[in-house]
Amino acid sequence: MTKFSQPNDLEQYRQTLQKQRDTKKTCISICSGTGCHAYASEKVVSAFEDQLKKQNLTNMVDMKRTGCHGFCEKGPIVVIHPHNYCYVKVKPEDVTEIITQTIQQGKPVNRLLYEDPELGKKIVLETDIPFYKNQTRLIFGNNRKIDPKSIDDYIALDGYKALVKTLTKMTPQQVLDEVKKANLRGRGGGGFPTGRKWETTKNASAEPKYVIVNCDEGDPGAYMDRSLMEGNPHSVLEGLIIGAYAIGAHEGFIYVRQEYPLAVENTEHAIKQAEEYGLIGKNILGSGFDFTIKVHRGAGAFVSGESSALMSAIEGRVGEPRPKYIHTAVSGLWNKPTCLNNVETWANVPFIINNGAQWFASMGTPNSTGTKIFSLVGNVNNTGLVEVPMGVTLREIIYDIGGGIPNGKRLKAVQTGGPSGGCIPEKYLDLPVDFDELYNIGSMMGSGGMIVMDEDTCMVDIARYFVNFLSQESCGKCLPCREGLRQMNRILNDITAGKAFEEDLELLEELSEVVQMSALCALGQSAPNPVLSTIKYFRDEYEAHLRGECPSKVCKALINYKIDPAKCKGCGLCTKNCPAEAISGEKKGVHHIDSERCIKCGNCLEVCKFDAVLKTTGKQIPISKR
Amino acid sequence: MTTISLNIDGKTIKAEEGTTVLKAAQKAGINIPTLCHDDRLEPYGACRFCMVEVEKNSRKKLVASCCYPAENGLVVRTKTENIDKIRKLLAELLLSISPSGAHVDIAKQYGVVESRFKQTESPESPCSLCGLCVRYCAEVKNKHAVCFVGRGVDRTIALVPGLSDTCSSCRECFNVCDAGKIVYLVDMIQEISCPPLKSSFKSSD
Amino acid sequence: MAKEKTKSHFVGVRLTEEQKKALYTLQKTSDLSKTDILLRGLEILSEYYALGLDQPPLSIELKKLEEEAIQHLKALKKIKRREESVKQMIQELREVDEIIDEYGGEKNALIQILLKIQEKNHWLPKPALLWVSERLSIPMSQILHIATFYKSFSLEPRGEHLVRVCLGTACHVRNGPKILEAAEQYLGINSGETTSDMKFTLESVNCLGCCALGPVMMIDNEYHGKLTPSQVPNILSSYRVGELSMTEEQQKLAPIAQRPTPKQQR
Repeated sequence: MTKFSQPNDLEQYRQTLQKQRDTKKTCISICSGTGCHAYASEKVVSAFEDQLKKQNLTNMVDMKRTGCHGFCEKGPIVVIHPHNYCYVKVKPEDVTEIITQTIQQGKPVNRLLYEDPELGKKIVLETDIPFYKNQTRLIFGNNRKIDPKSIDDYIALDGYKALVKTLTKMTPQQVLDEVKKANLRGRGGGGFPTGRKWETTKNASAEPKYVIVNCDEGDPGAYMDRSLMEGNPHSVLEGLIIGAYAIGAHEGFIYVRQEYPLAVENTEHAIKQAEEYGLIGKNILGSGFDFTIKVHRGAGAFVSGESSALMSAIEGRVGEPRPKYIHTAVSGLWNKPTCLNNVETWANVPFIINNGAQWFASMGTPNSTGTKIFSLVGNVNNTGLVEVPMGVTLREIIYDIGGGIPNGKRLKAVQTGGPSGGCIPEKYLDLPVDFDELYNIGSMMGSGGMIVMDEDTCMVDIARYFVNFLSQESCGKCLPCREGLRQMNRILNDITAGKAFEEDLELLEELSEVVQMSALCALGQSAPNPVLSTIKYFRDEYEAHLRGECPSKVCKALINYKIDPAKCKGCGLCTKNCPAEAISGEKKGVHHIDSERCIKCGNCLEVCKFDAVLKTTGKQIPISKR
Repeated sequence: MTTISLNIDGKTIKAEEGTTVLKAAQKAGINIPTLCHDDRLEPYGACRFCMVEVEKNSRKKLVASCCYPAENGLVVRTKTENIDKIRKLLAELLLSISPSGAHVDIAKQYGVVESRFKQTESPESPCSLCGLCVRYCAEVKNKHAVCFVGRGVDRTIALVPGLSDTCSSCRECFNVCDAGKIVYLVDMIQEISCPPLKSSFKSSD
Repeated sequence: MAKEKTKSHFVGVRLTEEQKKALYTLQKTSDLSKTDILLRGLEILSEYYALGLDQPPLSIELKKLEEEAIQHLKALKKIKRREESVKQMIQELREVDEIIDEYGGEKNALIQILLKIQEKNHWLPKPALLWVSERLSIPMSQILHIATFYKSFSLEPRGEHLVRVCLGTACHVRNGPKILEAAEQYLGINSGETTSDMKFTLESVNCLGCCALGPVMMIDNEYHGKLTPSQVPNILSSYRVGELSMTEEQQKLAPIAQRPTPKQQR
């Protein structure tokens, strides 16, 4: 493979590829993102490989391991092109039937199709599935068509066209102006105007300049960046090269968290391929622009996702944030101007260049243009990755796309923005989702994690969960964050244990205020958000805990497990599954839980087939020791 | 070196460009409390006691004066309602860690005698994690014999194994320690051969 | 032999079966006649008594020499074991050298280097850290801070199987904490600890990125999703089945102090 030494070479190659690829040829695309991988999608791949070989179909049919499709609840997902049939929860045993029915006869296998619970019927075409239909999969859509290990797949879908346009028709200033006009805002959490950040870096006097892709994605429950980096790495690379050109940087870093080995592998592979094609390296496509990229792995620290901490980590030092009185865009990596943006932000850039700022700004809301990918998780039916234009409401995301709450439960709250964000109660379901609306309501967009919580969620427990998380993930350097979170954690533990008083709630609010004002970095400054937003919208739950009650029946110290004598059939299944030997009863007789021995593990409730185990609250029962 | 002019608590102060707000204030005789600051060491910005309100182009924000660069035309206030809230609560937090140190006076100034917070550390070796011992040993002595270990609420200091024999003859970090932890650690090594570095660090031989 | 003027006397000796066998063996090995053997024995015993070897001071000395010989033998065996562990350490340090060279010995690559060492050994052995400190000219204090700051690193050997229970927010609202409790209960350890037989290390992680499978537990590279607490003991015990002794591979991963000595190996 010789390097493309000029843009025309690439264009000709692209056209050759597009001509070669027969869009009518059957292609089996199997989702191989980490999620489906965990569902053992590789076994499905092997089964297809075996069967195709056995039936001598290997040359007649293409098979592709693609990036994440997004409909993670229903994985492993297999889509057959050009028919566009979408099969869900595919097992290796299903492969023979798919080959016989669909590949050979062109008919769908009904039992493997997605069934819409509302309409009560099977849906044949992928594009008709409500989960996909109601989205605008601008950035994410190509994941289903691309084998992330194939640069040719990306090029055939017009990949690197924006790079060619940039290098041949635009000056760095023009690229910058276009991104500014598009009003692209950072997709990593801050929502800072990307064009302005690029400009500050560009105008800083020191050299050399650097660009960084932040794929640390520490927010629990958020995995959009992983799926993009794993599934379509070239889209991010292309955006990065264009940005570097605009800013005047010649060296780039991609910081991927260590917990994403597949993303690391696919990114390194993509960089190598791009180098081979002459799209990264010296004199890219004969333009005179040099640019190299290195991958840097994280080592397991949420705080290292903060931009100054991330830069410290790249320098080989401890990933502790520093006060950003001088912006990292002016003095960042090794005190040089550095522009750090999130994976999704960079992936938006090629679209802006190809289609223009006006087109981009026509999507979304005036102050939040474009689309956003959310990871819709928690107590929701259609768990997965969802891309919608900014301004779509929470209701549309959770119900039209997400399919609502499982088990007929009621929605209680939606948590956005990760540990820096807040909980939004059900009454705000019609809130349009964009940067400013979420901020005004006491939460934030964050990186895109959207955690749905049903009526069985205890909001005080959620606040305790986040503060506990942050107290361990904090770097511990500054006093207010470290000691403040330590004491907030203690108070919240006391509240959930039924040992707190009204003064403790006031102290909690006072601590939250001071930590917000005085912490060194954004982690500390936003740490009180989950506490403050849950107190604001669910104060009644806090006060119930002070009285010794957990309304959602979650907090162990405040609940009691009892057996309903009217429903108990005496089968003894609960006794068998009790690790504390706390249940006794005669065969076929009513069983009884000894509350002194009970450790509140919930096994009995889980295994009982007669719904005879109840949780009660209101009287403080001490938890017995194991 | 150009001279700039800024306003601190109503006084017009002249300072060299590149100096911090704290230094500029100290030179002009304005007192700002500090805990983790030492003139011999690089600014650290961890204790947050030195926070002040700065105003530029009608925008106000709270910053750590030990790290914030003084600018021409900057308006600084070293005492506001919010700053008082911060200093009072931080002093109270520290009282639950250590009964002695600069924070005791600060707490008294705000009328805090007892802390509302529960005791956190073992009373024999309190540590405010000001980092002065670690930084002194690294920047002044260049020995790097004390280090931070852990993260978040588990963060603490420890002696680097193998270097601690130099500690008992040096002991200079004792002078910068307010709470007492480094004294405790260095004295302890006379009794045990392997310095306490969290049970997680075991010798492999 | 010339006939001596000394008068010779015939002495008959009654021997037991065993003594007869011993005499026969000596005959074969020494090629001496029965009589010569017995006479030689007489000579040696006379010398023994003539030298006073039966007397306490000398016999005590002999015993002392015997004990010293045993001690020396023990020390030699210890040195031999030490030599083997030093050789092992040198091999491990060579591997560390290779890793450092991969990154051109750059200071900036410290975290990347430590990640590779951790992956290879399943922990960060002290000699490796000292060697990194030496080669990269980075003070040990900084390396220790980094090694204890990031969760990927472990300063003590991890168990054979790494059990990670996801406690990300999505798994939290799907009962993740109860899965962790069930694992702690079954293994008898707290999160962050290793079982005393070095089989399992239990940890909690904040998001494995498989939220649709929540609650998730990952053991080594296998995911176990949509779990209920009652399923946990069975899953964990399946990793114990068929394991009776440490295989060679497992021994390599264990720290030197815990590797079985030849005597302990079955």
